[in-house]
Formats: sequence, structure tokens, C-alpha cells
Amino acid sequence: MDVFSTNFATIDWVIVMVYICIPVVIGVIVRKYVRQLSDFIVAGRSLRLFVAIATLTGTELGLVTVMYNAELGFKHGFSAFHVGIIETVCILAIGLTGFIVYKLRELRVMTIPEFYEMKFGRNVRIIGGFLLATGGILNMGLFLQAGARFMMGVTGYSNPAGLKLFMSVMLIMVLVYTVMGGMVSVVLNDFLQFIVLSIGMLVGSYFAITKIGWGNLFRAPETVNQASWFNPVAEGSGFGSIYVIFMVVLTFSAGALWQSGTLRALAAKSPKVAKQLFAWSSVSYLARRVIPMLWGICAFVFISQTPKLLSAFQGPDAINSQFGMPIFLAKILPSGFLGLIAAGMFAAFMSTHDSYLLSWSSVITQDIVAPLKKGELSDKSRMLITRISIVSIGMFLLIWGLWFEAPVSLWNYMAVTGTIYLAGAFTVVTAGLYWKKASKTGATIALFAGLLAILGIGPWTQGDNVPFYLSDKFIGLITFAIAILGMIIGSLLFPDKHKQAEVSQ
Amino acid sequence: MSWALFWKFVLVFCLSAYSLLVVIVIFGGIRNIIDMLKDLSAPRDQE
Repeated sequence: MDVFSTNFATIDWVIVMVYICIPVVIGVIVRKYVRQLSDFIVAGRSLRLFVAIATLTGTELGLVTVMYNAELGFKHGFSAFHVGIIETVCILAIGLTGFIVYKLRELRVMTIPEFYEMKFGRNVRIIGGFLLATGGILNMGLFLQAGARFMMGVTGYSNPAGLKLFMSVMLIMVLVYTVMGGMVSVVLNDFLQFIVLSIGMLVGSYFAITKIGWGNLFRAPETVNQASWFNPVAEGSGFGSIYVIFMVVLTFSAGALWQSGTLRALAAKSPKVAKQLFAWSSVSYLARRVIPMLWGICAFVFISQTPKLLSAFQGPDAINSQFGMPIFLAKILPSGFLGLIAAGMFAAFMSTHDSYLLSWSSVITQDIVAPLKKGELSDKSRMLITRISIVSIGMFLLIWGLWFEAPVSLWNYMAVTGTIYLAGAFTVVTAGLYWKKASKTGATIALFAGLLAILGIGPWTQGDNVPFYLSDKFIGLITFAIAILGMIIGSLLFPDKHKQAEVSQ
Repeated sequence: MSWALFWKFVLVFCLSAYSLLVVIVIFGGIRNIIDMLKDLSAPRDQE
């Protein structure tokens, strides 16, 4: 069996082509609804519960999410499921308690750094905005690459130029409709994409399970360690206790404060809707992890039963493990449905990209450029800067995605780059909302501490015999610890002399 | 309980609960979108 053989046929290309025109059309139509900046960034704060769930899911269930989770399932088996369980519990806890999101929505801020200014002053907002944009843009640096790999695997296009071609075309499509319609366009597209993607994922899972067999699915392949295939803290699982603790801290802080997700809470009709949104979406968060991991597991079982495929994924010239899931789908899904899955995944790619582009560009405008400029910036100028930022970030993604490879796995790269922002943001927002002694100096130290996480994507994290203190998971975890300590010590040693109006009640 | 059995339960729960959520969100979401577009069309003050 040829590695890149596929059932993808002309009809599938037609389905994908027709589908990808829809977002652009929506972007053009909804331009008339975008009259002011809050329409562009938070859809006029008019999101009701169900459409908010769809758009949050559309954002947080991107093609890159499918790819990194499938890679985890492919490499680690069922033991990877623990990340999904941890994240689901964290999101549910945020939804039930309203921790952070309820208060932020009450304050009517449009971005997280806007809160920094309310509590700690303008300089902290600019520093926070810069670090948020840096971590966020770096975090989405491999989205295009992963998306293009999926499309190559599914369509069977193995030409080396394929990566560049797919990346460029996909980027242009997203830029066009995000620049035009802002959040209103994003919401409508996310809703449509939620429907297509969800149906595609559920039916795709049926095909995957049917191919492998329900009984075989829960038997570890002979080529892997039986215990570590199921147990995340077993030796050889690739995870371990430090990783599990890091995941608890990371997914809880990301759940509450990842800008693209939190933007949905800030765009919600009311603080109560913001809270409900998270409680309901905990199911989506479970699905976004478990279903792609299931596909990755099925792909590994399938490949391990086919010697020619197995050999392609082993040895020094092995194909990147991210190709495992799409190559598997390309071989088991029937033509027609494969086009629908590809369209759904492409939709997922776009729905994540649009939101992330909008998130980071709005941070650049609102939290870096506007506070630095003397005098008030008009809504029109802000929208122009936001649009220019969107295109600039797009260019960066193209360049970064073409030369950088994740040292350990795609998810680990995402986790560590996310920590650059999250370690500081989680500490600063939590302290700002719930600790009266939190000071400007403490906030600044905590924000800068997040930069330590950059060490987690260095080449020293790669390989089988990395000492634990150089592993990406330890660097990520210690970054959170240092940020929290920095906040506490900085606030106690250097309290604010003139307290600003108390935000927390 | 073995890990395999636990993951089996998680998988079944996930697929069932997500299917149900998708149906609820599709029907509720269409109504929400109509209301949202009505809100955005209405005359407003600058924020």
C-alpha cells in the first residue's frame, strides 16, 4: 500500500472548493453590520448562549487542535486522553463558579490587558499586551504548517512544494474574510463550521472505529508498551506526574484566560451567559480532545498492522507523525465523505485562524498602539490598524511555519508558547480580581516571568534522554511557579502607593 | 477498574454527550443568530 494513496477524488475537490467560498461571501454580506469597533471585536456584545457555544467550539476546535491531539493519540495511545479529562474538569469548574470570566464580563473590557490598566495602570497594560501578542502569535506559528500537512495527507499530494502551496492558499482565504467582517463574520462562519465539523467528526469516528473494530481498539498494538498505552503516569508513556500537573495548571489558566476563548465570554450578552457558556462548552472541550485522539489511536493501530506503512513512520527518514491521522483517514473514508471531512477540517482551520488573528490584532491595536499614542484614536483608525495587524501576522505565520519544526510534539509546542502569556496573565488577573494587596510591581514581574517559557521550545528539549529540568513540561511548570512567586513577593515588597479604584468587590 | 475500561467509558460518554450538544446548539443557535443580527441592525449610541 502506497503511503500517500487516497480515496480523495474529483467530487471531494468540488465539495472543498464550494465550501471554502462560503466564508468569503459571509464576510462581504455582514460588512454592513460592522459600524463600530465593539462590533468588529466583540460583535457588539450581542452573543447569546447557543451561538456563543458554537463559536467558542469553532474557535477552540481548529484543524491544529485536531492535528496535535491526533498526534498525541498516535504517539501515546489512550494515555493521552488524560489531557482531555483534565481540561474538561477545569472548564466545567470555571463554568460552575464563574471564576475570572464572570467578573471580566461584568467589567465590559474587550481585551485582557484592558483589565491590567484598570487595576495596575497603563504601563502594565502595554507590557501585558506586548507579551500576550508575542506569546499568542508564536503559539499560532505552526497552525498553517499543521493544516497544510493535513490537507496533503488527505488529498495524497506528496509533492514537496505542496506544503508551501497549501499554506499560501489557506492563509489568503482566511485573511480575506477576517479583514472584511471582523467578529460578526467570525461568529456566523463559526456557527456554520461548528455544524459541518461536528457532523464530520462524529461520522468520521464511526468509520474509524468500524475499520479497527471496537474490541481491537482497546487492545494495545504489539509494537508498544502495554501499560504506558493506557496509563499516563506509567514509565514510558511520555507524560508522567510533572506533565499531568503542568496540564492541570495550563488548561485551567488557558480555559479562563486564553484570549480567543475569553473573547467569547467578553462578547456574551451578559455575565451570566458568559458563565453558562463555559459550563456547556466543557462537553465540546472533551470532544475536541478525545475524538481526534481516537482518530490518532485508530491510525496507529491501522498503520502498525500494515508493514509498509509502519516502516514509513520508523527510522531516520520517518514521515512526521502528524501525517499519521490524515493518511489513515484518506485510506478508510469513502470518496464524497472524505471531501466533507476535508471541508470540515478546512472550516476548522479557518474558524480558529480568524479568531486568533482577530484576538492578537485587537490586542496590538487596543493594548499596544492605542495606549502608546498621545490623543484618542478614532474607531476608524483602530479598525485600520487591526486590519493591518491581521495581514502582518498572516505573513509571519507563513514564514515561521515554513522553517520551524516543533522539537517534541505539536501540542507541547502549543503548551509551552501558550505559557509565555498564560503564566503572567493568570497570575496577574487572578491577583487583580481576588487579592487586594496585588501591586503594579508584582504584576510587572509576573508578566515578564512568562518569558522564561521560551526556553521550553529550545533544541535542548528534544530527544529521549533529556534531564527533567530541561524538559519542556518542567520549564512550563516552573514558569508558572516563578510568575506566582514574583507576584506575591513583588506586591509585598513594593505595594502601590496610590491604589486605583478597587475593581474587585 | 482498569485503565482500558475507564477510557472506554470516557469515549462512549464523549461521543454521546457531544452528539446531543450538537443537536441542541444547531436549533438554539439559529434563533440566537436572528436575534443577534436584529440587535446589530438597531440604532445605537457610540460606545
